[in-house]
Amino acid sequence: MAKAAKTSVEETPPEEGVRRWGMVIDLDRCTGCQACVVACHAENNVPVVGEEESARGRSMHWIRVERYWEGEYPNVKARFMPLLCQQCTQAPCEPVCPVFATYHTPEGLNAQVYNRCIGVRYCANNCPYKVRTFNWFRPQFPEPLDQQLNPDVTTRSRGIIEKCTFCVQRIRRVELDAGAEGRDVHDGEIQPACAQSCPSSALVFGDLNDPDSRVSQLARSRRAFRLLDFLGTDPAVIYLKGGETNV
Amino acid sequence: MAKGLTRRGFLKIAAGAGAATGLSPTVRRVALEPFVRPPEEELPGRATWFASTCRQCPAGCGIIVRVINGRPRKIEGNPAHPLNRGKLCARGQAGLQAVYNPDRLKNAVRQSGGRGSRVFQPIQWEEALVELTTAIQGLQDPRRLALLAGMPPDHLHAIWTRFLQALGAPPPLIFDLHTAMEGRAESAALAERWFGEVNLPIYDLANADVIFSFGANFLETWMSPVAQSVDYGQMRQGRLGGRGFLVQFESRLSATAASADEWIPVEPGTEGLVALALGRLIVEENLGRVGRHREHAHLYRNINVSDAVEASGIPAEEMMRLARIFADAERQVAIPGGHLAGHTNGPQAMDAVMALNVVMRRLGREGGLFLPQPVPAKRFAKPVLPSRFAQVERLIERMQAGEVEVLLIHGTNPVYELPAWVGFQEALAQVPLVISFSPFVDETAVQADLVLPDHTYLEGWGYQLVTPGADRPVISGQQPVMEPLYDTRATGDVFLALAARLGGDAAQALPWPDEVSFLEESSAQLHDNSVSAYDARTPAGFWSRWRQFGGWWSKRAIRREPEVVRSSRTAIHVPLPLYRGAVEQYPFHLVPYPSITLSDGRGANQPWLQETPDPMTTARWNTWIELNPETARDLGVDDNDLVKVISPFGKLQAAVVVYPGIRPDTVAIPTGQGHQDYGRFAAGRGAKVIDLLGPAAAGEAGRFAFGATRVRIEKVGAVRPLARLEDLDGEGRENIR
Repeated sequence: MAKAAKTSVEETPPEEGVRRWGMVIDLDRCTGCQACVVACHAENNVPVVGEEESARGRSMHWIRVERYWEGEYPNVKARFMPLLCQQCTQAPCEPVCPVFATYHTPEGLNAQVYNRCIGVRYCANNCPYKVRTFNWFRPQFPEPLDQQLNPDVTTRSRGIIEKCTFCVQRIRRVELDAGAEGRDVHDGEIQPACAQSCPSSALVFGDLNDPDSRVSQLARSRRAFRLLDFLGTDPAVIYLKGGETNV
Repeated sequence: MAKGLTRRGFLKIAAGAGAATGLSPTVRRVALEPFVRPPEEELPGRATWFASTCRQCPAGCGIIVRVINGRPRKIEGNPAHPLNRGKLCARGQAGLQAVYNPDRLKNAVRQSGGRGSRVFQPIQWEEALVELTTAIQGLQDPRRLALLAGMPPDHLHAIWTRFLQALGAPPPLIFDLHTAMEGRAESAALAERWFGEVNLPIYDLANADVIFSFGANFLETWMSPVAQSVDYGQMRQGRLGGRGFLVQFESRLSATAASADEWIPVEPGTEGLVALALGRLIVEENLGRVGRHREHAHLYRNINVSDAVEASGIPAEEMMRLARIFADAERQVAIPGGHLAGHTNGPQAMDAVMALNVVMRRLGREGGLFLPQPVPAKRFAKPVLPSRFAQVERLIERMQAGEVEVLLIHGTNPVYELPAWVGFQEALAQVPLVISFSPFVDETAVQADLVLPDHTYLEGWGYQLVTPGADRPVISGQQPVMEPLYDTRATGDVFLALAARLGGDAAQALPWPDEVSFLEESSAQLHDNSVSAYDARTPAGFWSRWRQFGGWWSKRAIRREPEVVRSSRTAIHVPLPLYRGAVEQYPFHLVPYPSITLSDGRGANQPWLQETPDPMTTARWNTWIELNPETARDLGVDDNDLVKVISPFGKLQAAVVVYPGIRPDTVAIPTGQGHQDYGRFAAGRGAKVIDLLGPAAAGEAGRFAFGATRVRIEKVGAVRPLARLEDLDGEGRENIR
């Protein structure tokens, strides 16, 4: 299945109208600035859990920037890697859900149906990227902070899993608007909040089934790799490794 | 922006239709008036976007705000804005939490229980204005009125300047910790020394192939981090002709250094000596492709490279290698950063860095440095810049001596932001009337008699000259995207009302009924300008375009080549840095650095920013102390162990982060926490590093030497786990446990 999906990207023309949403993350551009993290909180009504809960590892970021040290002082380097749901084609989170809350959309998104979720957390347990977060408590938005909430995105309640959706509300909005105007969606017209804010344009979103889209072009880079590729999850997020300059 | 029928278009058609049908008086039409009136732009379920300006830092990025049901829901970068080009940083994104902060003041208040009591009683704006008017009329001498502000929007600065000038009071004094730590005033002074112009140079990072950054954290908080990050992305992967090379010189590996190709850990305060030595090597060895360096030889008279080698700890051959890298590049640029300003040799160090650009003839060249082209209208000609620290000290002396009767404070939190040794709070006690314009009860408002809250920036008007600029002249326009949530009042309007009440010169100097009319008149100065990115037939049409696009800018890039006015015969001399605290008792350098999320502490009341991990340590919601692994081992401490950091001037206690990217003789602590007040998300959290600082060493008075204090570290023997994103035990994220 993974193989079939891959050949369809590279060789056979994709089925008319079927998209495969994907993202390219250029690690050479990423500065670790956290703009994507706050943008995601704002767009997707992601709750803030406070110091005590985040010390327990319960913070809810749908996207986080991981920092890895290499070497020792003084020859030390730090590298950043933004991590969000990899929207796997062979998603380990999906088959373990007992209530089909975690499912695969035709466009390749790993969707989470909040009102089906019963909070068993099997999916989070099975996710090798650790990008699913659990609402241990009822999210608090002390008034009037509730007014910041994006009306296009539901708030989640206690006891359920939530995760990155590639800002599906933005995808749908653009599709509806384009449909109403009787035209196709242009490449680059849909931007998840993280990619939109990214100052150095490290994040690029688009349709991997369109060989001419910017994301497809970048995905063919020699620097491209996928995270934990050996697991066979076939992620839709493609990283471009950091570069070197010779002087 | 909605396509097709706009609101304005609709009104035009509607007006035309009324005239065309020629309704006679007998055919009367009465509109039904619903009880609840939605804002007129409102279409249920559809967002309206308004262009405005971010005020979370002084960079002046253009924003567009998504408004639904009359409430802003999301802030994005304005794609048409030449500075940030549609991008926005973490702090800019979090601006909603300034407006919707649950701890905002809802009206003007008097601290009825006396200063520091935190007992606030609501008062009417009329009462506040009467009190303010009486106080100013009752001044023995207008010079006994003082205004202290954090980097204000330019329109407010213009109003204040006129107001104070008309009264005969001293001009507004600008100080905030954010701009102090980025060395904004010193950078402007640098440009004045070299180019004869008080302005901020623009470094063309996007097109440079080798960048030497001396303590400039330009991807975090320095100057215009979004614009610089956009350029950084270009420099890395966005252009033909290869990836650029970035070298960062600083004692602690900042997030900017993490993105650099090389980090050179120099001893704090010796960055300028390194720059000087590099320049000397380039001139002496005749490196680079720009011909002979004879004309610049005088700059490096009497320089001994071995002095810099000794002071900085960079070996001589390494120095030579770096000099070659810089000189052999085609488009190199050297940036004097904010850390330099924090040392006693700051100005000279910045001179040494600037000299590298001059020697390599990088002025006005692609990938080099430029001066901003002025906006072609009188009212926008001069940028607002922070005052020199000596002026702040002078104000405090005058307050202490009882020479200030009325002190007005806007957009800064000096009780928190100034180090304790300056004695601001004690001096404040000698001022009979202190008025704060803060929308929040911060530490300074707690020491004020009246708090007259300004709107937050999404509710208010203004404009800002973008400094340091983009590739063209830009004014960012600020407009309300919503009705004010509470009974707050624009400080500009308060001053205009005050001027009208005072009458005389003040009323003459400020004839505008409100700040909007001032803005409209200001915008008209640019109407019909040939370089405008847009035009309109009438000034009114131009003003509406101004609001639609979020300001004014030139349609094409205009960059200006700086001309050197500094004599090339004057040698540069960078003295050794002086520190407070004897090395025997205080063996470590203290490096306070601005937090990328909380900045100087102004972001601490926004929970999104508190919860966002620091990129390097992944810690949040608290203060931490960064120690080199070797230092930590020597002290017998590990991650999360509490230690005391003691300077000759103060001490604090916080948990350790073992940090591989810092010199063993240096400790780093971020700013931003340690608030006593400022709302539920900020108060009582972490410690305030600024209070460890002492005055600059003898003979260097009048400088805010935030990098020149030595400290010692004592183990406490207790553990306080920090809320870090990173797992220290390697067991993975907890959400499963």
